[in-house]
Order: sequence, then C-alpha cells, then structure tokens
Amino acid sequence: MKVSCLQENLARGLSIVGRAVATRSTLPVLANILLSTDAGRLKLSATNLEIGINCWIGAQVEQEGAVTVPARLLTEFVNSLPAERIDMELLPRTQTLNLKCSRFEANIRGIDAQEFPPIIIPEEDSRANIPAEVLRRMIDQVVFAAATDESRPVLTGVLAEVSAESLTFAAADGYRLSVSSASLENGPETPLSLIIPARALQELRRISAEAEGAVQMLVAQSRNQVFFHFDDIDLISQLVEGTFPNYKQIIPTSYNTRTVLDTGEFLKAMRMAFIFARDSSNIVRLQITPNGGGGRLVISASSAEYGDNVSELDAVVEGQPIEIAFNARYLIDALNVIDTEQVALETRDPSSPGVIRPVDGTDFVHVVMPMHISR
Amino acid sequence: MVAKPRWIIHVDLDAFFASVEELLHPKLKGKPIIVGGDPKGRGVVASASYAARAYGVHSAMPMAQALRLCPEAVVISPHHEEYARRSQAVMGILREITPQVEQISIDEAFLDVTGCERLWGPVRQMGEMIQRRIFEEQGLPSSLGIATSKLVAKIACAEGKPRGLVFVPAGEEQAFLAPLPIEKLWGVGKVLGAKLRARGVRTIGDLATWELEQLVQEFGEVGRMLYLGARGIDKSPVRSSRERRSISQEATFAHDTADRELVRRMMLQMSEELAARLRKRHLVAQTVRIKLRYPDFSTMTRQVTLSQPTDQAMVIYEYAWELLHQYWPPGRRLRLIGVGLSGLFEGGYQLGLFDHQDQRWIRLSQALDEIRQRFGRRAITRASLLERKKRSGSLKR
Repeated sequence: MKVSCLQENLARGLSIVGRAVATRSTLPVLANILLSTDAGRLKLSATNLEIGINCWIGAQVEQEGAVTVPARLLTEFVNSLPAERIDMELLPRTQTLNLKCSRFEANIRGIDAQEFPPIIIPEEDSRANIPAEVLRRMIDQVVFAAATDESRPVLTGVLAEVSAESLTFAAADGYRLSVSSASLENGPETPLSLIIPARALQELRRISAEAEGAVQMLVAQSRNQVFFHFDDIDLISQLVEGTFPNYKQIIPTSYNTRTVLDTGEFLKAMRMAFIFARDSSNIVRLQITPNGGGGRLVISASSAEYGDNVSELDAVVEGQPIEIAFNARYLIDALNVIDTEQVALETRDPSSPGVIRPVDGTDFVHVVMPMHISR
Repeated sequence: MVAKPRWIIHVDLDAFFASVEELLHPKLKGKPIIVGGDPKGRGVVASASYAARAYGVHSAMPMAQALRLCPEAVVISPHHEEYARRSQAVMGILREITPQVEQISIDEAFLDVTGCERLWGPVRQMGEMIQRRIFEEQGLPSSLGIATSKLVAKIACAEGKPRGLVFVPAGEEQAFLAPLPIEKLWGVGKVLGAKLRARGVRTIGDLATWELEQLVQEFGEVGRMLYLGARGIDKSPVRSSRERRSISQEATFAHDTADRELVRRMMLQMSEELAARLRKRHLVAQTVRIKLRYPDFSTMTRQVTLSQPTDQAMVIYEYAWELLHQYWPPGRRLRLIGVGLSGLFEGGYQLGLFDHQDQRWIRLSQALDEIRQRFGRRAITRASLLERKKRSGSLKR
C-alpha cells in the first residue's frame, strides 16, 4: 500500500472512527484502525464488535493495500503533525506503516489486515431515509432516558419502530420514558421494530453533527444488525435482543391537572431548584394551583444542611390543584430537549406518572414517575 | 480478625477569630490580636493570635489579665456573623472531600476519609490538599491531625499547632501517644490529671502500663476509657448530621426457636411497626440491619444499604428477611431477633415506571396509618400475624 492524503483529512477521519475502537478487548486487533485503499480513496475502519464505523477520506492512491495500526498511537501522532501532506507506505514483510509529513517521519508496527473482523454492509432488507436534522432531534429527545445500568439489557437500548410513513424512537430507564417520532417518506412496507443500543445512537449523533442530507438506515434483521450511511461515513451496530416493554401502555391517557408553562422559564426555575435539591436526592416539590383562567406553579427545593429555594411561575392551569414531587434532574433532562415555546405538564395524583408534552407539537412525549416524599 | 484501618482527619482552624480579624484588617497581620469582650468590664478572651499567645495570653482568660500580660495587644470585639460565614465556607470545602464530616464547633471538624484515597490520593496528601485549599480559598491557617481514630487525630492535630499536619501511621498510635503528658488525653481534666499524677502517671505511656482491672478498680467506668485511650483505641464513628438517628425493635422469643415461620412473622411484624414509626416522623431510612442472638448469648448484627431509601414495611421486611436468610443456619435455634433502621432523614424515593407494586403499598400503608390513628395500633393487622401470636414472645422497642 502506498497512499498520500492531507493531515487534516486523516485527523478528522481518525476522530470519527476512533470512538468505535475497543478500549478493553482480549483481541489486540480491535485496538487498531484498519486503513485500506478503496476506489481511489482511503478507508478507515474501527469496531468493538458492538458498533463499527467506516469513514472514507480523499487520497492519492499509488498502490492498493491494507493494514491495521494501533488507533491511539496513530491518532496522537497524526494530531501532532503540521497541516500538510502525509505520505504513507506499508512495508508488507514487517507490516510496518511508514508515515512521512514535512520533516517528520514515523514507523508504526501494525497487524495484518486479514486479522481484522470484516464490517459487512447488509445487502438489502428494510431501508428508510431520514433527514439528518430530524434524526439528530429524535436521538437527542430519547437517548438520555435509556438505562445506563445493565440490570435490564433491553432498557439500555432505544426502541425504533419503522413503518411506511413514520419512525418512532422510545427509551425508558425504569423511572421515565421518552418517545419521539417523525413522518417518513418511502419507509419499508412491512413495519418493523428493533432495539438499537443507546451508545450506538450517541455515536451516530456525534459523527453526524455536521451532516446535512439524508441518513440512510438499513435493517438486517436476520443478522441482528442496523446500518446507517451518510456522506462518507457508515455506522453499523448490533441490535439489542429481547422484548421492549409495551411503552404505549405506560403513557397515561387522562389527567386531573394540566399545567401549561413557558418552557424557558420552567427550565430556568428547575435548574435553580436543582442547586438546592442535589444534596437531598434531587427532590423538588411542585405546587400547582389553578386560578380562574390562569394559575401558578410554585417550585421548591430544600437541603437539610444548606438551605432552601422557592420559585413562582405563572401558568395556565386546568383542573385540580396538586402537590407532587419529582427528581429535578429528570425534569431538566426532558425540558432541555423541548424546542417549543410552551410546555404542558399533565398530572393525575402525587404517585402517578406525570406527562410532559410540547404545546403545539405532537412528535414528542415524556413520561416521568414522581418521587414519594416523607413529608 | 484485623479490620482495615479507618482514616480520620481532625481539622482545626488556628486562632480562628483572630485570623479572620487579620484578614479583615491586613495592617494587623503579625501583631498580637485579642478578640474578646470589653477590657474595662469583665470580658474574657475569645481568641488570641499566635503573636498574643507568645505573651501567655490564651482563650477564656479575663481580658484585664490578658492586657497586663500583653499591654500592646490590639483588642477587637468579635464579628460573629463574619466568623460564621467563614466557618460555613470552610465546612463546605470539607464536605467536598467527603460527606462524612462531623462539625464539632465553629472551627473544628472530623472527617472520615476511609476509602477516599481512590478519589483524592493517599491520606497525607489529602490532608495537605485540605490545608492548602482552606488557606488559598479562605485565607485561613489550619492544623490537621490524621490517624486511625478520632481520639488520636485530635491529639495529633493539637501537637502540630499552628499550621501543622501530623500524620500517625496505623499501628503507631500507642508509640505516638506515649511521651505526651497525661492531660492531653481526651477526658482527662485538671481533677483526673492530678489524681493520676498523684499515682505516678505523668505521661500517656505511663498510663499504658496499667492493667484494665487496676484502672477499673481505681477509677470505675472512666478507667476503661483511660485503658483504651492510652492505647489509642477509639471506635467512635464520625457522625455527619444525616446519619445521627436510628430506630430499632427487638424481641426475645418465649422459647428459643428454629421455626422459620415464627421468625418470619416476627420480622414482618417488626418491619410493620418500624415503617409506621418512620412515617409518623416523616422520615425515610437508607439502611436496614438485623440482630440475631443465639441461646449461648453470642450475638451478630448485619446490615444492608438500600439502593433507594424507604418508609415501606414490605421493603424493610424483604431486605431484613434476605439478610436473615444469608446468616441464619437452618436448624440453629434463636433466642432473640431484632430489626433496625438507620440513615434516617426527611426525604423521599423515586417511584418506578414499571413497578406498580410500590404505588399500591404506599396507598395501603396510608390507609393503615389512618385506621390506626383513629382506632388504635391493634385495630388492624396482617392475617398472617394473627395466628399463634401467643408463642411469638413480646416486642420491645
């Protein structure tokens, strides 16, 4: 292999595939990045067997070939080079990659490319095209609600339901549920549902931050894999096996109190309350009082050791007055991903789930369990 | 069994009030400063800077006497609000190191930093960091003692004053204490000190040569304290305000028993009672513990920390029963069992999205509490607790 490319292109490519590199694996080759020539470009690949990323960068290929080299070493070396042209040449006998850039040179010992597990792109199966911007919004709206502990593996994933005209993501961690949806054009004819690891979607969100066109999603159910492609990047992920809880059943269908608030004000007041609440299990108390056509919400938090905080907000309250306590962190997480000016909080009683919905928006709903408080 | 040593840090701000005054009036820095009441009246010294102490001035000394010793001293009336503010800021720094902070006065606190090494590095380094942060962030000098108990940490701290840091390695407590005068020991005041000196005990090392029986015979219960103190043994825990309370119940069976069903029911009943008491006091508990006593009076306690605090009988019972299950060999007879709750605080717990059981239990216990409040404690109980009640022995708190 003999190939030349620009330092900034290589550095960018390495940062994209770098997060898929296995950090603790018994298989040494997984700590490496695969470099291979592919139709006049240089292809970078990394995988930890759960997710894999390919990224193509512009290059001048003089001689075809492939090799794997330690990801960290290569990345750190390339990042410290000047923004100039890099010439790479593989010495096949020793599997050593020689890199030259300006007056700098390095030889990095690699492992034969044959050892690298192939990242196979599914041929066919179901596919859908999602505008990158929509996909980013949907990921942001659900991924924080996925479980981080492994006690129920399905909850570490995000349920994706795809049909001919819509895509829905749902994630739940046992205390809250977040559901985001969007309409699709030309979705698959047979509806399907799959559970994608939250971590894979987080990576997809990160590497597609600047993507503008559509992201193509392909599902290979027989291989239990999902595949995303956009611009010069592929991301492939194993699916989580198991059955996701029936989330529709969890979304309350009625309420006794509906409180409409200014999203920004509510978020600001919750962040303030959180400063006091974080010392006492994040408990914040909401006191909601209707008053004619209006009403108010009083948010309070207290710490036995440090003090307390009260905020009062104007609201449009419909229904019964209620006092209910929540984990401040959970409300902040949900409010953070609502982009409409107003938000509605629907509640039934102090021990039943609360529902947060954007006002004038139908594509997001968040369900959060209250906290039971001793006083 | 040798337990892993605890690591306790005692932090004491040096001449605290006087140091704050130096900060407020930088011109006074290094001068003898006395903070206290009116020198013409009957005021006493609240705090004296080290420069004033060099003249023999110390706190609680009548102001008039202090001024005779050190006529050039600057006398300042105390600014208590400022001291309280600075004190809170320092305690805030300490609580960033560990929540296990016991504040014992405005300028003194104990920290239990056992296990914090992973976060902050070796304990001595931790001590240096605390001292540096208090100085850099609040401008206040402090002294620290680091040892395996509160007793030794406090004495070590006093030995290093001012601006000292004395570290007593595990196992060297007794050797560290031995040369110190007997009055340095906790609880040894003038009277007891004089009594001991009259018996030839001048240093803590002298005291350590006495046998337990001898000391108990001479000084009663205090003798036991002296015996342990001289060896640097002090198991008293660092109590942060959060965990100062606990409640428990125990019961002795009418006859020693190995009957699982009987024990199970007794435990359920105790859990009910404890949960009702928690709810009445508007508290939740973070830790459940059990106590087992066998016919030979050997006693064992075990505890478990809950992932979420609770005030529900069924949660307490399930954890208590699980503990009992682990530590009670089948067939072995029991004389007494007890259930206790600690880590009590006013707070709450997160309800689960998929677990509707806890919501039902909460409603059930609310109803039970109301019925019992109206019609008395015995008005309603579990069916399983009704049978064979006579054999179950009596509950006591």
